[in-house]
Amino acid sequence: MTEAVANFDAEQGVNQWQRGVHIYDSKVLTPAFLVFSALGIVGLGLSLLRMFGGLAFTGMTDSHAWGIWKTFNVMTLTALGSGGMAIGIAAWVFNWKSLHLVMRTALLTSLLFYWGGLIALGVDVGRPWNFYQVVLINRWNTHSALLEVSVCMTAYAAVFLLFENLPPVLERLYISGDSQRRKWVAMIMNFVKKFYPYFVAAAYVLPMMHQSSLGALMLLAGVKVHPLWQTQMLPLLYVIQGGVAGTSCVLFTVMLGCLVWRRRMDMHVLSDLAKLMTGLGLTFIVLRWGDLIWRGLLPMTFDFSQPLVWVFHVENLLVLVPCLLLISHKMRYNPQLLFKASIPVGFGAAMYRFVPTTISYVPGELAVYFPSALELVMGAGYIALTVAGFSWACKVFAIFPAPISRWYQAVAAARAANIKVDSNGKAIDY
Amino acid sequence: MTMDRRQALKTLGQACAGTATAAATVGTSGTAEAASGGPYPDASPGAVGMLFDTTRCIGCKACVVACSEANDLVPDTVLANGLWQMPMDLNARTANIIKLYKEEDEDAVGGEYSYVKRQCMHCVDPACVASCPFKALTKDPENGIVMWEASQCIGCRYCEVACPFEVPKFEWEDFNPRIVKCQLCSHRLPEGLEPACCEVCPTDAVIFGAREDLLKDAKSRIAAKPEVYYEQKVYGEREGGGTQVLYLSHVPFTAIGLPDLPDESIAWYGTWVHGIIYKWLLIPMIVYGVMAAIIRKRWHHHEEEAREQAKKTGLPQQI
Repeated sequence: MTEAVANFDAEQGVNQWQRGVHIYDSKVLTPAFLVFSALGIVGLGLSLLRMFGGLAFTGMTDSHAWGIWKTFNVMTLTALGSGGMAIGIAAWVFNWKSLHLVMRTALLTSLLFYWGGLIALGVDVGRPWNFYQVVLINRWNTHSALLEVSVCMTAYAAVFLLFENLPPVLERLYISGDSQRRKWVAMIMNFVKKFYPYFVAAAYVLPMMHQSSLGALMLLAGVKVHPLWQTQMLPLLYVIQGGVAGTSCVLFTVMLGCLVWRRRMDMHVLSDLAKLMTGLGLTFIVLRWGDLIWRGLLPMTFDFSQPLVWVFHVENLLVLVPCLLLISHKMRYNPQLLFKASIPVGFGAAMYRFVPTTISYVPGELAVYFPSALELVMGAGYIALTVAGFSWACKVFAIFPAPISRWYQAVAAARAANIKVDSNGKAIDY
Repeated sequence: MTMDRRQALKTLGQACAGTATAAATVGTSGTAEAASGGPYPDASPGAVGMLFDTTRCIGCKACVVACSEANDLVPDTVLANGLWQMPMDLNARTANIIKLYKEEDEDAVGGEYSYVKRQCMHCVDPACVASCPFKALTKDPENGIVMWEASQCIGCRYCEVACPFEVPKFEWEDFNPRIVKCQLCSHRLPEGLEPACCEVCPTDAVIFGAREDLLKDAKSRIAAKPEVYYEQKVYGEREGGGTQVLYLSHVPFTAIGLPDLPDESIAWYGTWVHGIIYKWLLIPMIVYGVMAAIIRKRWHHHEEEAREQAKKTGLPQQI
């Protein structure tokens, strides 16, 4: 077996990622995991309590009717969870093969961020019991962007993201199962394979639809949104910036995972991921500035007496500067720089998604919104669940990309722990 | 003369009684389509509304009390320690309010001031109706009154974000929160009564009527005393696509809290692109078809490669 590893590594290059391997050498129950889970459970508990009362405990008011749950947990975090869409389209439609290796990580982040957002949305709406109408087509106001978001986002998270995340779960069930279980797992697997292209195509159209509709939401706010942000381009810019945020989030997550779990980085794949991020980021900047020039707002961007103009520039530069740096091949292959560059890009992209609903949303009443402590704890709780869920899933399912030698090490680790293993290493009982 | 007008209003009220009841019970009927009537929509011929004239209002607030009574709203007495009704602004217990505008310099003798009555504007093309995902907010196709239906509201508060006048208010304290706003006393109209606020106004600062007539009335007032009225303009004739509640003012409209809006309908601005993209779901379906075809092709290649890889390494393939 070690021979096979040596041969393979020699052939492929030692650092090359080949497949997903679970993080076998790290315990699930780490102190960080416990802290995040605890925070998540507190958030969920408070959400349950909230169902027995109104929303008066939040910082929301009639003039700022949307708080962080909508503007951050939904608007911003589903942007960070758009990696499944952006990387998926690049890999499947544009045949960018190397990106398949980070696909499982991307899909997992998407699933977790979207479910976190859906929980936040369920807690945020005042009359959640009326949400059953989402299935009554005659009640739909098809002109409302929020209708589009409610229908599409629910369908995407509840059906298509679950479908896309099935294979790692099925694999684990298969490997650790007896012959009877293997039979029905194989049956489901065949179903998944049969319909995979059709489901996946829908899983790319739906987020494009609702991510753009999230941008369209603010169109109806009209003059309440500052002119630098209020444009008919909002839907398009929101989708693209969702792609930027999602890609940078996957880049950051994978690199952070490599650092925390001491995994090797495959700079070919990571550099390709950075290329995708850079391309989308620069497209965003060009479209945004083009639109501003088209609308004759260029002079306004030099009016530094307005605080919002500063916000506007920070938002752009956070994306523009790292993206320009990463055009260079050398910079992209520098792991330290790449890791550091992914942070401002993600932050800038997320900021663009957050600002139009909050900071540049200026209602007539000069009221200021700041979330209450409970609101913050609940919002943080949903994020903590996402983090805890990610760390758990990576340790249980073959998601995180690794060189093939890692697979054999996982087998060896299982053997050493006296766990049943097939002769060819096919069956690892985790 | 006032009596004549009042009588005329009564017949008018009875005329729109039928549609008002329909509006009151509008539920699954979905008669009111949120479809925007273009960038510069016309009000329906039967549109009713109110005309408020700042030069006539004496700030007695009789309308505020009458509104609470007529609509079963618990008076907001928070600021007055429970002694009398004293709302700060429109809120979940106040669908109608009188506010005072005073010039900055309080010491200025004879400084300009004005009372203003605020309530739902019953827009010709309401942004709230366009925003509402499940048609809880509807505009009556005949009289144009904007109504809220409890059983269809999910409490998302998009109407509050969309409304340029910040009229819809949410019951934050409540377990089963409602959206509270003026519904032009549509429950009184079938009885031949006018909206409570118009009925009690001692100076006719606010009057009820057909939008068309009110507009004529307003213009004749401007023609009679053009120097009194700010910009010789009727606010609501065109602002944001037009409103059914109209304002005449002797001070700038922005001073009394009426925003400076473009003439283009906000509902139109916010939904026309959406309308094109989602017409018959055509564009999403084309995109889906193209993507599915490409991915299907790639999928076969991918499967083959994965099988080869699996043979080479002896490991099961991963999707």
